Amino acid sequence: MSSLGLASDRVSTTYKTKNIFFGRFMKLLIWDMRFQMRYGFYLLYTFLTIFYVLVLTALPEAWKGKTAAILIFSDPAAMGLFFMGAIVLLEKSQRVTSYFAVSPVKAFEYVCSKVLSLSAIALIVAGILSKASGCGLLVPALSGTLLASVMFTLFGVIVATKIISLNQFILFTVPVEMFGFIPAIMHLLGVTPSIFRIYPANACMELIGGMGISVVGIFLTIVLIVVLFVIACRCVFKMWQEQGGVKI
Amino acid sequence: MIQVKNLTFSYTKKPFIQDMNFEVEEGEIFGFLGPSGAGKSTLQKILLGMLPGYQGSAVVGGVECSKHDAEFYQDIGVDFEYSTMYEKLTAKENLEFFSSLYDTSGKTDGAQGGKKKRDLDELFAAVGLENDAEKRVSDYSKGMKSRLNFIKALVHEPKLLFLDEPTSGLDPANSRLMKDMILEEKRKGKTILLTTHNMQDAAELCDRVAFIVGGQIYALDTPHNLIMSKGAAKVTYTWLDDEMIEHSASCDLLELSQDKRLKNLIAENRLQSIHSSEPTLNDIFIEITGRTLV
Repeated sequence: MSSLGLASDRVSTTYKTKNIFFGRFMKLLIWDMRFQMRYGFYLLYTFLTIFYVLVLTALPEAWKGKTAAILIFSDPAAMGLFFMGAIVLLEKSQRVTSYFAVSPVKAFEYVCSKVLSLSAIALIVAGILSKASGCGLLVPALSGTLLASVMFTLFGVIVATKIISLNQFILFTVPVEMFGFIPAIMHLLGVTPSIFRIYPANACMELIGGMGISVVGIFLTIVLIVVLFVIACRCVFKMWQEQGGVKI
Repeated sequence: MIQVKNLTFSYTKKPFIQDMNFEVEEGEIFGFLGPSGAGKSTLQKILLGMLPGYQGSAVVGGVECSKHDAEFYQDIGVDFEYSTMYEKLTAKENLEFFSSLYDTSGKTDGAQGGKKKRDLDELFAAVGLENDAEKRVSDYSKGMKSRLNFIKALVHEPKLLFLDEPTSGLDPANSRLMKDMILEEKRKGKTILLTTHNMQDAAELCDRVAFIVGGQIYALDTPHNLIMSKGAAKVTYTWLDDEMIEHSASCDLLELSQDKRLKNLIAENRLQSIHSSEPTLNDIFIEITGRTLV
């Protein structure tokens, strides 16, 4: 850096860089949770959780396990897919993305913060529903919810960065829903061959539904998450650079 | 602070920015003046590292703009022409959030890397928003958002400020207040890049200005030198003829004594009005570039 440089008085040790990253990431995460609280996400899921618990309580014992698994998989675990569209479109419409483009925030900090903040809600709701159903073990159910939530939220980030309206978002998420929900629900109901245990959505559903653990399936799910994370970071970076307008 | 050499950029096959060369010194207010589509925003995006596919060199604070990392923005403040706030949060929450994105791990603005954060209450008071800090941004008027956007660019004490039409949408009193704040930031040693259509602001604030049209710099100098190099002061006068119809004429101030008509009108006491005027930066812009600032 030159003596005139903006960065002349920066300390570039690894330790300091890590501190800056964790400091900024934690602040982003806390603020993301505050935004979600302000925009009513927590209130909405409080009501939805109460409703789901009431539904589960009213069901016969034999149905509770599978119903809870479908509820957890299709709502709290998949909420990131839908809410990322709303969140990113909101940021685009208020041109906050323009500011991120000229701030020290890195795309991966932004993506991690969004994914973890939404996954936190998913885990709380899934934990309550799992307990309310009284079926299966809590830890596998939460593990499955976390994997599915991260996967769906990353899909949501990728789609949200590409679209300029809510209608487009709804349209573009249909394939993700088809390839995410239908095979997993069919797998839960036992209508798919065992080879499909390796399919990431099915592997997550097995964990949530207490059906067992497919090591290969979980491995492939993690590989998919890593690939989606890299793509999501690139998409966010590109979106910031473009600073496009948006219609809602 | 900024060195631009042989800078060329194109969105298509046709060059949009053509062979630009200029330097901006530390502590200087440098103005980009030009009509819409002249290339000002593109140039600003290049200097902000958002358009890396350029030819030539654009160095900001010792960093080539196409090769920067995210920490490059630690010392840069940007005031966009439009609001970039979370509308549902209060103004203060917005500033708290955006200031939290910068490294403020140190206690002083010293060599250890950490920087002081600006006191938010002081910033709100400086732009007359001290009683509106707890209001949601969605309840702000355009002028209030413009002032809020400006102080948002200052929260992390950047060394380089990019200001895009900072007085746009402001009433005269707030425009004055904003200009005084810009000059105060310059006194503190900040380098400021100002993009504007407003020639009066540019003449008042900028140490140097660049006239940009069609992606090229047509002139670059201090506003005073540009005005003085191109036009002499003129004297304009009006009078009434015998049928009480008003006429006007003008002549260069330096040739005033040779204007026989003016001499006669003074002798006959028939002058209705007389005033001198220097050309404005706007007149010079039109003369040099052949374009108006629309």
